[in-house]
Amino acid sequence: MQCKELEAVLEHEGLVPLPPAARAHLAECAACQGFFADLTSVQALAHELPAEADPPERLWISLRAQLTAEGIIRESVEVPAGTPWWQGFTAWLRPRTLATAGAGIVLFVTAIFLSRNPIPQPVAKIANSPVVSRVTSPVTSAAASRVAPPVKDSSLTPRPSPTEEAMANGGVVLNQAELDVPDMQLAGNSTVDASLRNNLRTVNEFIAECQQHLKEHPGDQLAREYLESAYQQKAELLAAMMDSGRSEH
Amino acid sequence: MPGTTLGGIRRIRKGSSAALAKLARQRPTEPVAWTEAEAIRRAQAGDAAAFEFLYQMHSRRVYALCLRMVSNPADAEDLAQEAFLQLFRKIGTFRGESAFSTWLHRMTVNVVLMRLRKKSLPTDSLEETIEPDAENSGPKRDVGAADLRLSGAVDRVNLERSIEKLPPGYKTVFVLHDVQGFEHNEIANIMGCSVGNSKSQLHKARTRLRELLQEEVRDQARQERQAAKSQTGSLD
Repeated sequence: MQCKELEAVLEHEGLVPLPPAARAHLAECAACQGFFADLTSVQALAHELPAEADPPERLWISLRAQLTAEGIIRESVEVPAGTPWWQGFTAWLRPRTLATAGAGIVLFVTAIFLSRNPIPQPVAKIANSPVVSRVTSPVTSAAASRVAPPVKDSSLTPRPSPTEEAMANGGVVLNQAELDVPDMQLAGNSTVDASLRNNLRTVNEFIAECQQHLKEHPGDQLAREYLESAYQQKAELLAAMMDSGRSEH
Repeated sequence: MPGTTLGGIRRIRKGSSAALAKLARQRPTEPVAWTEAEAIRRAQAGDAAAFEFLYQMHSRRVYALCLRMVSNPADAEDLAQEAFLQLFRKIGTFRGESAFSTWLHRMTVNVVLMRLRKKSLPTDSLEETIEPDAENSGPKRDVGAADLRLSGAVDRVNLERSIEKLPPGYKTVFVLHDVQGFEHNEIANIMGCSVGNSKSQLHKARTRLRELLQEEVRDQARQERQAAKSQTGSLD
């Protein structure tokens, strides 16, 4: 082995372990012995140098401030993985979760109860009657859509007396039951209640129109038929309202 | 963790013991019993304590590497901060294909070499030292010439001074291998080169250091002779 070959071995294999041929050359070449000894000394001395050095404390402070400013670190986080699966059950015992679950159960039971005990819809009869369907009136559209129009809050406006209201709507009061209707809680549901009252008001207005027309045209047979049918509708509507009120009280 | 070599494990243990002791002194209530993998997972979720744990575990080695590379505490501090900033910005992408310390040191070396490139040292070409031409830039040895036996003639101060004079490419490989204890496969990963290239660079770095140390020894001997001469002259 030549000196250059030894150096190639040292370059590609390192200082130890040397192959036998390289060791044999070293044993007989003083120059290579010195070269090898120097490299070994450098390596040994380098191992004594400290591999670590304490950075100044301000380095972490500065680094942390920068990381916080960039939104990379947060003070407290929930680690996404690694938590045992049973720890998730404790989340179900929190008060807010329990309250939400309770409200959901109540809504569900109420929905089942209402679906099994549907609220009577007397308005439908008015909509299907031949008299009302032949004329354009609010009752028709309301009944057809089965959605009551928005009404003013009765508690905010003073109500007229039953007699005044009946007379204002048509001047015809069928019986004492009609006088009791305005103060009666009908269905326990403000929307249905308002819808029934609105339908009664519309029928009364239609009766008043028919009466006015008959005063001016006493011989109009068609108007008489309308009036007769309207009275019939009103009677049925009042009966339905009374039944609804009785079922609630 | 996949990719962790025995050398890597040894270094992590060495570094973690110091970090754990430091954390225990600073915050006794903190959960310091994390493994590195646990701390990484927490840091990926943004946990501030995990970031600090990882910093305390590795900052001493990273700072030491930066200090050896630039030989200036202020610059080393700046570089270490930049390296950790890059690390923590990208920690969400760490999948454990290589050891965490290897990943961190790769970033550190890149930050340092980029800084040195920007400074564009007038005496050394980085390209030349990272991929040296063996015929032109490799260290030369006068075979057959009288060798100065360095054993016993040099100390750590001489060596540190000579390391400062090494070109950046040689210096990086030498510090990583002979000072910090990385294996050649890890250095190849850090430097983005082959294992053979890492071995070759190391050998040339050692040979160059030998030359620099020989110059140091000669300079010292010359100064001693001059001092002795002037002392003799003053006596006469």
